[in-house]
Amino acid sequence: MLVPGKIQHIICTGNLCIKEVQDYLKTLCPDLHITRGEYDEETRYPETKTLTIGQFKLGLCHGHQVIPWGDLDSLAMLQRQLDVDILVTGHTHQFTAYKHEGGVVINPGSATGAYSSITYDVNPSFVLMDIDGLRVVVYVYELIDGEVKVDKIDFKKTTTATHSAH
Amino acid sequence: MSRGIVEEEAPSLTRVFSPENRSLGALRSVQWRVNLGILPPSPSVNDLRRETADSRRRYAGLRRRLLVDPHVPKDGGSNSPDLVMDNPLSQNPDSTWGRFFRNAELEKMVDQDLSRLYPEHGSYFQALGCQGMLRRILLLWCLRHPECGYRQGMHELLAPLLYVLHVDCERLSDVRKIHKDHFIDKFDGLSFEENDVAYNFDFKKFLDSMEDEVGSQGNSKKVRSLDELDPEIQTIKLLTDAYGAEGELGIVLSEKFMEHDAYCMFEALMSGARGSVAMADFFAPFPAAESHSGLPPVIEASTALYHLLSIVDSSLHSHLVELGVEPQYFALRWLRVLFGREFSLHDLLVVWDEILTADNSKLGKVSGNEEISGFKILDSHRGALIVAMAVSMILYVRSSLLATENATTCLQRLLNFPENINLKKLIAKAKSLQVLALDSKISSSLSTFDVAYSRSKSAVSGRNLSSGPVSPNTPLSVVADSYWEEKWRVLHKAEELRQDDSLDKLAPSGKRRWSEKVRLVLSRTESDPSPARAGKYKKGHRSSVRRSLLEDLSQQLGLEEDTEAGDCFDTSNIEDRHSVEGQVEGQNDTSIASICTAEERCESGSGASVSEESSSIFSDPASSGSISNDHENDTEKSSVASNLSSDDNDDRHQSDLEDSPLPVSSPPEDALLSYPDENESSGKTVSASKESRHLSGRFQWLLKFGWNNVSQEASDKGVSNETAKSANRDSKSSTADSSTAAGASRYSSPTSQRDVVDQNVMGSLKNLGQSMLEHIQVLESVFQQDRVQVGSLDNLSKTNIVGKGQVTAMTALKELRKISNLLSEM
Repeated sequence: MLVPGKIQHIICTGNLCIKEVQDYLKTLCPDLHITRGEYDEETRYPETKTLTIGQFKLGLCHGHQVIPWGDLDSLAMLQRQLDVDILVTGHTHQFTAYKHEGGVVINPGSATGAYSSITYDVNPSFVLMDIDGLRVVVYVYELIDGEVKVDKIDFKKTTTATHSAH
Repeated sequence: MSRGIVEEEAPSLTRVFSPENRSLGALRSVQWRVNLGILPPSPSVNDLRRETADSRRRYAGLRRRLLVDPHVPKDGGSNSPDLVMDNPLSQNPDSTWGRFFRNAELEKMVDQDLSRLYPEHGSYFQALGCQGMLRRILLLWCLRHPECGYRQGMHELLAPLLYVLHVDCERLSDVRKIHKDHFIDKFDGLSFEENDVAYNFDFKKFLDSMEDEVGSQGNSKKVRSLDELDPEIQTIKLLTDAYGAEGELGIVLSEKFMEHDAYCMFEALMSGARGSVAMADFFAPFPAAESHSGLPPVIEASTALYHLLSIVDSSLHSHLVELGVEPQYFALRWLRVLFGREFSLHDLLVVWDEILTADNSKLGKVSGNEEISGFKILDSHRGALIVAMAVSMILYVRSSLLATENATTCLQRLLNFPENINLKKLIAKAKSLQVLALDSKISSSLSTFDVAYSRSKSAVSGRNLSSGPVSPNTPLSVVADSYWEEKWRVLHKAEELRQDDSLDKLAPSGKRRWSEKVRLVLSRTESDPSPARAGKYKKGHRSSVRRSLLEDLSQQLGLEEDTEAGDCFDTSNIEDRHSVEGQVEGQNDTSIASICTAEERCESGSGASVSEESSSIFSDPASSGSISNDHENDTEKSSVASNLSSDDNDDRHQSDLEDSPLPVSSPPEDALLSYPDENESSGKTVSASKESRHLSGRFQWLLKFGWNNVSQEASDKGVSNETAKSANRDSKSSTADSSTAAGASRYSSPTSQRDVVDQNVMGSLKNLGQSMLEHIQVLESVFQQDRVQVGSLDNLSKTNIVGKGQVTAMTALKELRKISNLLSEM
């Protein structure tokens, strides 16, 4: 399913651990963004990253820096701090997606289904975002019981996310 | 009442749609849609509207089906799509995403072409809306025809169609503005825009319109009744009435549905609408299923093009074939885009008017038992007109094509068609050629011709490849374009199609070289040419030089093939010319005999037959030419010189003319000395070579027909064998073979074929007659000149010969005149 040429950007929250995985991802798509996870051997990944794709601003962070791990409000703080519409974090190895305050917080889960100390029964999963103008459709691919299950979530960006002064 | 108006309209509509009245400013898009078969050629407005509506519905349905946007939730989520199959990464071919990506790839290809479409009319064609429409139309067509896919050039076919629709819509809006009253219902001062389906009553507008009403009272009172309007305006009104048949969908000229209409037109054009010419075929790389020639259709059509060209103008054809200019090099673009890249947009529209008017239905060929039915493209009027148009274009740039010996230059000329052209003339010529192309004999002679052509093609290409060191491309010297054009114009004063380039001064260097070579060559000639012959180095005389260069040219062609074959060929060619002339002019044996005798006498009674003499002369320059092979010029010049010497033997016209003004006494060397003094001679000689080439081409072609006839009633079996062979093969080689064997016998049977020849080639013979008339005039004028100078000759023997030659020449001239009159009468 992951065929080279179909995907334009890869956003990776971290913990790739070894360079070979990065190389593999590079074969899928040359535009690769990675932030540093706690087990990464590559020390030059940044802690957080922001990028703009289409009309959306995306923020990337591994998530082990944000405590409590996986807590929505803390992540929302990070989102405001980075000033992004979509925040992608990981570390919990569990897929979640929240709409929050005019933005989206996505946790794609673990692509390999690696062991996590905070999650039972990790299913390998990843997320495909289809950004089209002011609309993003999030497809979630999960491997459950040997089968690929796909789910879809629609987000529309409000054109002016006006935050009142206080 | 409305019905009454409609019925009244019927005649006016037929007027509008008749081809003769197209200049009525009739709506091109409607006319073209009728021609392409989308709209019925019926005068009833309602029929038109209904057909329009149906075609648009079809397109809309197609668009909905094929243009997939998986982003848009289709049914409001009632049936949630199976996401496992239908996700973007799915490799399932049925998934909408899969289709979406495939479409996206097609679109990318299309966009590459669209971005470069008509940059000179970029304000229309590069606008986003227009590009979007074009993209969608092309995409949908390609999705509908996956076997064709998208090929570069399809966008060029589509663009004029859309443009025509756009122009008509603009016309409509102009007309609307002028005749507001008839297009807008005005009740109580409120105007209900016809086009405005979702009419929103706007009070503000109401008040404004009240004021306008007051102001425009004067204008609106003028034309009240529909009938008072121009019939064209009436047509427009009826076609675009929102309340007519099919309502808004039936408005024949509608900006809303431009995309639909353009798609329908494009589809009809590409598929040929059950006719013979389908543009889509031209994009197919593989031969059609029922193709007889086994060639891809565009190659076959290019072959048809060359075939027609060879019939109309075989010298140009052979010139192009020699250079190795295969027709598809330029015809591919011409045919695939229907000349879209050769003319400016507005000229193109005129051309397409003509082409689309031509009927596309298959002509039933009376093929009978023969299975091979000829070129597919010539199977309809439209196809024939397309081929004729192409040939007419080639003929338009004839002079510059003949002027160059370089295949690249030829192609450049053909691919960069001149800007300011006389389009009417071009089209008129094309129409005349179309008739020719449709001639059943020609189109169904594919079987024999094609085989011959492909063989000759391969022979030519083989020749070109193999005879590298002999430099097949440039047997003649490379001279400036204007130089050759001058020669050409000299030969064809009557033809108006030729471009008028001013003649630059003739290349003096060429002449110098030439004189040297002449000296070199002639010193080698063993047999001493008779004084008369030597004296015939008439330089200032055009026609003699012309004739000589006819030989010269044939010499060139002969040399091209084979050095030894060239000898035979040259001799045979000269003989051929005789026999051909004999045939054409319907000379009796006696007249030919008189010619022979005249020549013999000219040669101071030398017992040698004409052919032998000429052959000996030729063999020498041929050998010398082959010796000095490093310079093409050498061969040319030497052969020219030798031609000059031997040529006079053959041409009865020249027998008297040449010698007189020349102060040459006896040996050719003397003639040589005087040669360099004449500046014009070299030029005229070269000019004559052009004509000679042309003439030889014509003669060869005539010869071919003559041979065909000869084969029919061959008295001599050997002759018949030879000629039958020649009829089936390339004329050059055939003449080489056959003529050597059957030299003398030909003379015996020239006359009987005259009638048969005439029947076959009347038109061309007429041209031939005209050119002969020209020659006669020239000859006579020179003859008058010569008579004065006869006395100044030193050589006594020469004067004797000259006197005799004059007499014979006079008789010959008279006969020639008679013949040309006969021909022109035909």
